Amino acid sequence: MSNAMRTPAGAINVERYQGAVAEGRFRRLWNANAPGYLFLLPWLIGFFGLTLGPALISLYLSFTDFDMLQSPRWVGMANYVRIATADPKFSAAMHVTLTYVVFSVPFKLTFALLVAMALNRGLRGLTFYRAIFYLPSLLGGSVAIAVLWRQLFASDGLVNAALSQVGIEGPSWISHPNYSIYTLVALSVWQFGSPMIIFLAGLRQIPQDMYEAASLDGASKFRQFYKITLPLLTPVIFFNAVVQTIDAFKAFTPAFIISGGTGGPINSTLFYTLYLYQEAFGNFRMGYASALAWILVLIIAVFTAFSFLTSRYWVHYDD
Amino acid sequence: MSLRVSRRNFVAGGATLLSLSALGTSALAQEKRLRLLWWGSQPRADRTNKVSQLYQTKNAGTSITGEFLGWGDYWPRLATQVAGRNAPDVIQMDYRYIVQYARRGALAPLESYMPAKLNLDDFDKAQIEGGSVDGHLYGVSLGANSAATVLNTTAFKEAGVDLPTQATTWDEFARMGAEITKAGKRKGMFGLADGSGGEPLFENWLRQRGKALYTADGKIGFGVDDASEWYDMWAKFREAGACVPADIQALDKNDIETNTVSLGKSAAGFAHSNQFVAYQAMNKDKLALTNYMRIKADSKGGHYRKPSMFFSVSAQSKAIDLAVDYINFFVKNPEAVLLLDVERGIPESAAMREVVAAKLDENGKVALAYVSGLGDLAGKLPPPPPAGAGEGELMLRNIAEQVGFGQLSPADGGKQLVTEITQILARG
Repeated sequence: MSNAMRTPAGAINVERYQGAVAEGRFRRLWNANAPGYLFLLPWLIGFFGLTLGPALISLYLSFTDFDMLQSPRWVGMANYVRIATADPKFSAAMHVTLTYVVFSVPFKLTFALLVAMALNRGLRGLTFYRAIFYLPSLLGGSVAIAVLWRQLFASDGLVNAALSQVGIEGPSWISHPNYSIYTLVALSVWQFGSPMIIFLAGLRQIPQDMYEAASLDGASKFRQFYKITLPLLTPVIFFNAVVQTIDAFKAFTPAFIISGGTGGPINSTLFYTLYLYQEAFGNFRMGYASALAWILVLIIAVFTAFSFLTSRYWVHYDD
Repeated sequence: MSLRVSRRNFVAGGATLLSLSALGTSALAQEKRLRLLWWGSQPRADRTNKVSQLYQTKNAGTSITGEFLGWGDYWPRLATQVAGRNAPDVIQMDYRYIVQYARRGALAPLESYMPAKLNLDDFDKAQIEGGSVDGHLYGVSLGANSAATVLNTTAFKEAGVDLPTQATTWDEFARMGAEITKAGKRKGMFGLADGSGGEPLFENWLRQRGKALYTADGKIGFGVDDASEWYDMWAKFREAGACVPADIQALDKNDIETNTVSLGKSAAGFAHSNQFVAYQAMNKDKLALTNYMRIKADSKGGHYRKPSMFFSVSAQSKAIDLAVDYINFFVKNPEAVLLLDVERGIPESAAMREVVAAKLDENGKVALAYVSGLGDLAGKLPPPPPAGAGEGELMLRNIAEQVGFGQLSPADGGKQLVTEITQILARG
């Protein structure tokens, strides 16, 4: 070996030797990690192929004029400038979406928490109820539910039939611009299943002896809720609030189905994502729609960052 | 070191994926396979699939797969597929979109196949024109139709109101509508649908005034006065109870299933003649077709015979010859034409029209009689609408709703419509 090192050929040999060592290490590493990479592969493909790749392409497209049939044409900031200065539909869509977020998230969380607390009482057949209450969330995005909602809130729907029993003649909730958004809020609140399950898990984490001690000290049920349940649940509430807010910003299907894709009547159900969709696929403005999408990403990021920044003042972690 | 490993691994994985996908496309690209895409409901799908089966039995070794969607979902899907280089070979195309798709190079020009492989000799000349853009044929018309009023004759009879005739004016029609509403024979039923947001209606009305929606060079074809008067006319109808209130009309998603006639909310509604078969299938009462009303008893009609839809061939198709042959079969084979009936409109080929006419059932006859009996109500086919016409249609409806819900006066509505459409067209 030492002989070989002196000759030029030997130097190559050394490299080969080092290469062989590296190869060996590579093989060892590979052998150790291969199953891991193999199991990661579906996610990796999904992440790079279906999430990161398209996201970067859409970022590029947001600076272009792209009609999906011809190649994109670079227009710089023009799309963003139009959004900021000359697009009344943008502000209309923003208004509708913010209304939806502001109403649907708190109501949904409150409702989910109430049901979770009711279910937490060691009810008989608990799993059954859990499944039943979760069902709407599973069906949530489906066309059938949106169609059902039309049946409920149309002028001759069930809601008005019930109202007419007490002498009130209701409008066609779903097709009246003043009310239509709230029927969609109601639809979202009804789909309280997934935050409820998470609340239920959170409630289970609270030690029972705390309640026992509190009731020995004479604390009322309401006081127990206010002083024990709520503070110990804040991490879960925080999590649910962030997730539900992001979801609400991205809501699309119900409005699409119920308004037939128009966002009507009079833009009252023109969710941000619905407008984005109209621009992209209805009007062949994929570049502009991409810019709209990135604005939405920005808005969601700001909201989420804000939640995290304020969380330190109200979220209590058990340590 | 581990980075190098994962990168190499990644590249290898990518190569495998690539070769896999290449396998997939080459398998799909066999020349004996055709993919079709159309919009419509189940009855149309059944007819179309039967024709495809017939074609396959007559042309051994070919395989034809078809997909269909509702109108609203159809265009996004098509645009995505074309952009993704995955367009179907045979595409159902509408008059509204043919220019956009053709000018952007998504469709294959077909005139070179005529007349040997695509024989349109006995086609209505005007309808061949309708499928042409910049001198090339991009679409073969599958039938002719015309905009029409659908009447629930049972509801008219119950209310003791005579059906409108070809001479009925809008004012008379509104009086009829108000009478039906007032008669109140059915709970929640009004006389007429609210047509203020319906583009075919507005266009018809404009044409009777000698105007148009769009000019041949893609500009707006009407003025503020026209639009304001239009909205004002419907506001008066609404006030008189002749047509449904705005919150009922807003349920209409511009398809057969949610039209106020289908929902039982009005005795008369607005549609297209080739939809009559489907309307009748959905309604227990006996329906009839008539024209849109006249502005004055002596005013010329604003109707025209429109290619109800085309078959176009994708420029990306690897089987253009087969696609052309299929389309030729679709419009010229008597067996196929009988299967199709007049569901996509009255056949354009004179010979096929005779084949169908001999075997039509009652509902088919209604549509045929209506389109061929338009007489002086039918005028020239307007030029294909410019890019942005889809947005214009939504705008007409949006403003109609604002007027309907009392958020905008008819005069302001007219002003706004003209401003918005002018801007939309400028944006292109």
